[in-house]
Amino acid sequence: MDVHVLLVEDSALVVDALRLLLEETGHRVSAAFNVRQAVDVARAERPDIILLDLTLGREDGLDVLGELSRTDNLPPVAVALTGHDNPETRERCIEAGCLDVLTKPISALQLPSLIRGWLAGRRAGDAGSPSDPAA
Amino acid sequence: MPRTLTDEMSLEQRMGALQEQNLQLARTIAELRNQDALKTQFLSNISHDLRTPLTAIITHAEILRDGILGALDERQAESISGIISGGRQLLGMVNEILTYARGEANQLSLSRSEISIESVIEQVCAMSESLIAKKEHSLSVDIEQGLPPVAADRDKIAHVLANLLGNAIDFTPPGGRVWIAARMAPDTEHGPAILIEVGDTGIGIAPEHFDLVFREFAQVDASNSRSHHGTGLGLAIAHKFVELHGGRIWLESTVGVGSRFYFTIPVRSAS
Repeated sequence: MDVHVLLVEDSALVVDALRLLLEETGHRVSAAFNVRQAVDVARAERPDIILLDLTLGREDGLDVLGELSRTDNLPPVAVALTGHDNPETRERCIEAGCLDVLTKPISALQLPSLIRGWLAGRRAGDAGSPSDPAA
Repeated sequence: MPRTLTDEMSLEQRMGALQEQNLQLARTIAELRNQDALKTQFLSNISHDLRTPLTAIITHAEILRDGILGALDERQAESISGIISGGRQLLGMVNEILTYARGEANQLSLSRSEISIESVIEQVCAMSESLIAKKEHSLSVDIEQGLPPVAADRDKIAHVLANLLGNAIDFTPPGGRVWIAARMAPDTEHGPAILIEVGDTGIGIAPEHFDLVFREFAQVDASNSRSHHGTGLGLAIAHKFVELHGGRIWLESTVGVGSRFYFTIPVRSAS
């Protein structure tokens, strides 16, 4: 079955670009534009992966993970997307339960193989540490 | 009506007028600071918002370049590559403005670890290889044996070095010489430090512009026809990053002969 990705991103332009990329490389894509929507979609559709933009307007994207963990609906893989990577942001994301942090723009060629790597890491029971999906 | 100082005033009157003027000045300064902070906030917001559509453009172009929507012929691929490199250059400039705005708002912090200056130099040289080859410069690296590791923010030191090396490459006519050297500095106020030098045989900078180059938005040639383009923030950010480490940055230069930029990074960082 196709890997199901939930994109949580407040810019329709970025969602369109990533949706095109992911659908063309064999993924099923849902999108949410704010925390409320993301939580609803994640609970209803149980995606394999959440790609989470950190700034959703005035909302903090990581709140989605907080909400989902309260009701035990965390997806197998959550990965943060940020415009500007810095050590503090990275730490905050990992603490909130993200497996990895990607800086936008995400490399079109790499994203599909990153996704395979994250899921493979999860299946291999490598739960706690960020995987090395470059391989 | 505000009193003004005139010769006919008594001492008391003059004191009162001065006090009033001082208050007024304090108010004006506070107002200017406030406006400056607003402008910085605007810069931060606008650069953040500029990145979003730019990100989408680059992703779309990469989808095309990588053949995800079908194979391209050579000329199509070349054109798409042009969109991507232009987009990435623009993104670099937008990020630079954002870094500057965060620095002004004191939102920058250091993530220190024990780093080897030698490995940072190697990393930055490797990144600049193609630019150096394109301009047919020769690059030499001279690192003193046995330099100690320093407690510093690796990414920020790499940023400073990449900026200085980038300028050296840009402002040196083709076929020039560019070099990087690292050695122990004479003891600084923060104890022992490593001194890093980035030199070139480029166009040089006149002494009256030595301070100007580290000032934000300032470019020595500010005309529209200037041959080097950028945000004008590169050296201001480098200055900020070096200062955050408790180091110092300065230059020596002779017009038509070349420039040498120096910066120090204390071995034991200032906290």
